[in-house]
Amino acid sequence: MIEIRVGKLAKMLGIHRNTVRNWIKNGELDATPMVGKRYGIGRESFTRFLESKGVAKNMILELMADAAKTPGPGKTAKPETPIIQKEVRMLDKPVGSVMVVGGGIAGIQASLDLADSGYYVYLLEKGPGIGGGMARLDKTFPTNDCAM
Amino acid sequence: MSEPFEPKIIGFLCNWCAYAGGDLAGISRIQYPPNMRAIRVMCSGMVHPELVVEALTKGADGVMVMG
Amino acid sequence: MECGRHLNIEILTLSEVVAVTGQAGAFSVTVKKNPRFIDMDKCIACGICSQKCPKKVDDEFNMGISKRKAAYIQYGQTVPLKYAIDPKTCLFTTKGKCRACEKFCPTGAINFDDKEEIQTFSVGSLILSPGYKPFDPAGIDFYGYGKIPDVVTGLEYERMLSPGGPFHGHLEKPSDHKEPKNIAWIQCVGSRSTNRCENGYCSSVCCMYAMKQALITAAHLPDGGRQTLFYMDIRSHGKEFELYYNYAKEHDIRFVRARPHTIEPGPGNTGVTMRYVTEDGRQLKEDFDMAVLSVGMEASADALDLSQKTGIELTAYNFAKTGSFTPVSSSRDGIFVSGCFKGPMNIPSSVAVASAASAEASKALISAKGTLTREKKYPAEKDLSGQPPRIGVFVCSCGSNIAGVVDVAAVVDYAKTLPYVVHAENNMFACSTDTQELLAKVIGEQNLNRIVIAACTPRTHEPLFQDTLKEAGLNGYLVEMANIRNHNSWVHQKQPEKATAKAMDQVRMAAAKVGLAFPIQELQVNVVQKALVIGGGVAGMNAALGLADQGYETMLLEKTDALGGNAWHLSTTAKNEKIRPMLEQLIQKVESHERIEILKNARLTSSTGTVGNFTSSIQIGNESREIQYGAAVLATGARESEPTEFMYGEDARIMTHLEFEKELAERKDRVQSAGSAVFIQCVGSRNTRRPYCSRVCCTHSVQNAITLKTLNPSMNVYVLYRDMRTYGTREDLYTEARRRGVVFIRYDLENPPLVAKTDGALTVKVTDPILGMPLELTTDYLILAAAIVPNETRELVELYKCAVNADGFLNEAHPKLRPVDMAVDGLFIAGLCTYPKPIDESISQAKAAVARANVILSQNVMQLDAIKSFVTDHCDGCALCLDVCPYRAITLTQHSDNGHTAKKISTDKALCKGCGLCAATCPKRGVMVHGFTTEQLRAQVYAALDLIG
Repeated sequence: MIEIRVGKLAKMLGIHRNTVRNWIKNGELDATPMVGKRYGIGRESFTRFLESKGVAKNMILELMADAAKTPGPGKTAKPETPIIQKEVRMLDKPVGSVMVVGGGIAGIQASLDLADSGYYVYLLEKGPGIGGGMARLDKTFPTNDCAM
Repeated sequence: MSEPFEPKIIGFLCNWCAYAGGDLAGISRIQYPPNMRAIRVMCSGMVHPELVVEALTKGADGVMVMG
Repeated sequence: MECGRHLNIEILTLSEVVAVTGQAGAFSVTVKKNPRFIDMDKCIACGICSQKCPKKVDDEFNMGISKRKAAYIQYGQTVPLKYAIDPKTCLFTTKGKCRACEKFCPTGAINFDDKEEIQTFSVGSLILSPGYKPFDPAGIDFYGYGKIPDVVTGLEYERMLSPGGPFHGHLEKPSDHKEPKNIAWIQCVGSRSTNRCENGYCSSVCCMYAMKQALITAAHLPDGGRQTLFYMDIRSHGKEFELYYNYAKEHDIRFVRARPHTIEPGPGNTGVTMRYVTEDGRQLKEDFDMAVLSVGMEASADALDLSQKTGIELTAYNFAKTGSFTPVSSSRDGIFVSGCFKGPMNIPSSVAVASAASAEASKALISAKGTLTREKKYPAEKDLSGQPPRIGVFVCSCGSNIAGVVDVAAVVDYAKTLPYVVHAENNMFACSTDTQELLAKVIGEQNLNRIVIAACTPRTHEPLFQDTLKEAGLNGYLVEMANIRNHNSWVHQKQPEKATAKAMDQVRMAAAKVGLAFPIQELQVNVVQKALVIGGGVAGMNAALGLADQGYETMLLEKTDALGGNAWHLSTTAKNEKIRPMLEQLIQKVESHERIEILKNARLTSSTGTVGNFTSSIQIGNESREIQYGAAVLATGARESEPTEFMYGEDARIMTHLEFEKELAERKDRVQSAGSAVFIQCVGSRNTRRPYCSRVCCTHSVQNAITLKTLNPSMNVYVLYRDMRTYGTREDLYTEARRRGVVFIRYDLENPPLVAKTDGALTVKVTDPILGMPLELTTDYLILAAAIVPNETRELVELYKCAVNADGFLNEAHPKLRPVDMAVDGLFIAGLCTYPKPIDESISQAKAAVARANVILSQNVMQLDAIKSFVTDHCDGCALCLDVCPYRAITLTQHSDNGHTAKKISTDKALCKGCGLCAATCPKRGVMVHGFTTEQLRAQVYAALDLIG
């Protein structure tokens, strides 16, 4: 039995943490919740699972070795670069997330539509807050509604 | 009558405009007299005339319905 | 703004794209995240850092009219509501000393060690909407902008008008801070000019915003002042815009057709003196208190940069390049564009193209749908039936925001004396994560079943506390907030005693209300994951195709026996793309799609059910059948009207636009040999009968005028118009037509052209406004820009209880923010049925409708809002409420009870929006709104007046 953490595993595989959560939720990855944000999983089933996802042998070994290590306090091991660069290599499906660049009214609307229909959205904004040009308007015609 | 008259005002504030306006007044730190007691409603249209009359008969000095 | 709280939206602020690699379906985006220097998890937006910050800089949000600090938020309702430190101006980051904010921050959120980060994200698609940049008129000397203080731009003036702006909504002249009485707006600054700036296009929005500003200004001033708009053409080509223009004219806004050529400082160095030439050639000089330059939109430098980093193509004006049939696709597969990055557009168009972009962005990722998203699960709710209220009161200090004015300890002590209150305590920050945990713990330990949070505004924070209650096994509607910050401590800073007394009142009122609160169940609907599209034109077919591509079984209903609609009669788009091949391809795709069922000669005859679950009967020929669907798109279209003026129908040479298109296609030789052609605009539009503008005809006439000049350069081509409305980059066509020698002559509604036939010759008489002289044109063709009228929808409107405007066009739920939603949930609109529009905008709307319908259809079970009306036992079926309900959600029903038949109303939960008009109308408390029952409101009134019980 080894312990894994969702965030860390996701980072090492170079995938989204919700992907890992969903694997666990739908039973694809047979892990049982433990203290903190950790999950327990049998060595064999973990290996089998990784193999089924097409992860290379040496990477699996590395992952297992890393998972077995319990990092000391204040010294979290952070891999420099993700082991797997792209999600597509593991899944022949496209990535279920969209990046929206620009947090104005158009960006916000696009984000909400996507997030409400099953996609994870990264909304990128250059400034410190979203709202864009429309937030500046006093009122909008023809109803003279407040722009906020 | 040594104390100056302090009216008691009941305000019915629409969640979408008047109540939001009150919030904005706060953010802008606009100062106003503390005599109104606000009641949030989802639409100023939901304020029953009976309630307005009742508030006045039970001692309110004024009722504002804002929306 | 719901974005900030969305479980599946991660907002990355202060971030920019560095590079995009990979391909559609699997992009890898490198993002640079700039330091904020404030820990977003710790910041509670108390504003102390900003108060203590000694560095003042120009506030770009207020267009530099006011100052802000180096530690700042952009505006009061910023999302995320977290402060940031501007490293370019902060004294510590620039000069290495100060750190005042760090010292005073109550939560230790300031972190000067924050560093720039490079992160990589895997995404399937990208949507780019970097927005626009307002045109900077400083480079154009004759406007005097930057030199004369009372010359401002439209956006600066917008901020000056705003109650949240630098002058708190009090109008002031920048020069002497006196109230301006007469203001001049100058249109087309930085637009429609290739002379001084290179922006040949029309920015499309300025006419309307200038009119709006003029009307608001007039409303601000006791006597309305005197507001003047200097313009070239008024472009009010949007839905209800023409009415707004008429309203402005009726309300003494002066419209002058002239472009001022010089602006000088006014007498006494305040105000402005303006020189202009009127249409009939008079030189005039006039003084104004202020001049507002209606600046247009430009592509921003950010947009340029972004296009390079993402590798997409731009147009000559540096807007993203898109096609009319693929209006949101960039030149790179998997990258989509929306908003003003596509070109100047107003808010509803931006919102529609944004939705369209989201539909396209998700289309390719369907197989990965739901793989990365999360849903929140809550424990089962405790059963509270029969239990008396056990109220817990939590009084927030909000650092010193509340506690600095209100004596929170006294409020807590007072709360403990209130009926049913069993627990009261003070928290430093009620909204913090650890307080949420504490709250859940106390709810369990003390067995609380009603909660009062005395803190800030429920408008931003109620959802958070509702969530906490749900996690603790309580119904989310058992919490009430007392707004002792925004409505108290912040606005009564100098009267701490009265503020404390008010806070006690507020807590008492909240406790009185929450004591009467009962758990409210959110309605659930099982969603039928099928779609219905009504109308088989370009909009309807695009909607059907989009929905089917999203994986839903789609029925496409067409009243005639052929798909295609108006597009069969059109040759090219404004970008000169051929329509016929696109149409044939579209029809072929629709007909061969495995998930689309086409029902021709069909009409809807009934509809029941609500969002997520509609049932309808349809009649196809003589057969009738029943269908079920979760959402519907109405794309019923419009048609060219038959003119009643200008001798239409009396001579074969007089034809409408569509008839002339046919003539061009079938008898090119005859057209080519014609000596002259006259176009008359606004035939049946913009008059008393049809007050709206038909939007597409100006562009269409100009395009055909160019075609004629191309076929035969020596042909005399005249366009008789009222205002030339070639909006956006369509302006280029107008420029091109004039360059080719098309003659444009303006006429007034009061003095229309006269058409006559003498000795077989067709003549048109019109008064030339520049010469002031009547002209007589003999012509071989007279082409009338006939108004576009909506197709008959009365039956549908009745079935769905949806809304139409006075002109018969279907209405959207909100004219700005929900341009393709109808007020009835689950129904969407696209194409000409909402308003006349060109093909690219119809397609955008259709795709947008797909995205909006997808939000409903992608769910198995839908949660509806819980704040709804409900009928009580007191209802006796008097039906007074039926007429007042704006959503037509109430029906009168009959039911028998022990042999008696009784009438009673019933409310449709899906149609009801919880406005409570019914409750206020009902004389017998027969209908109420959950969470805001008359008892609850009465309890608040009584509590406010300190009459407990």
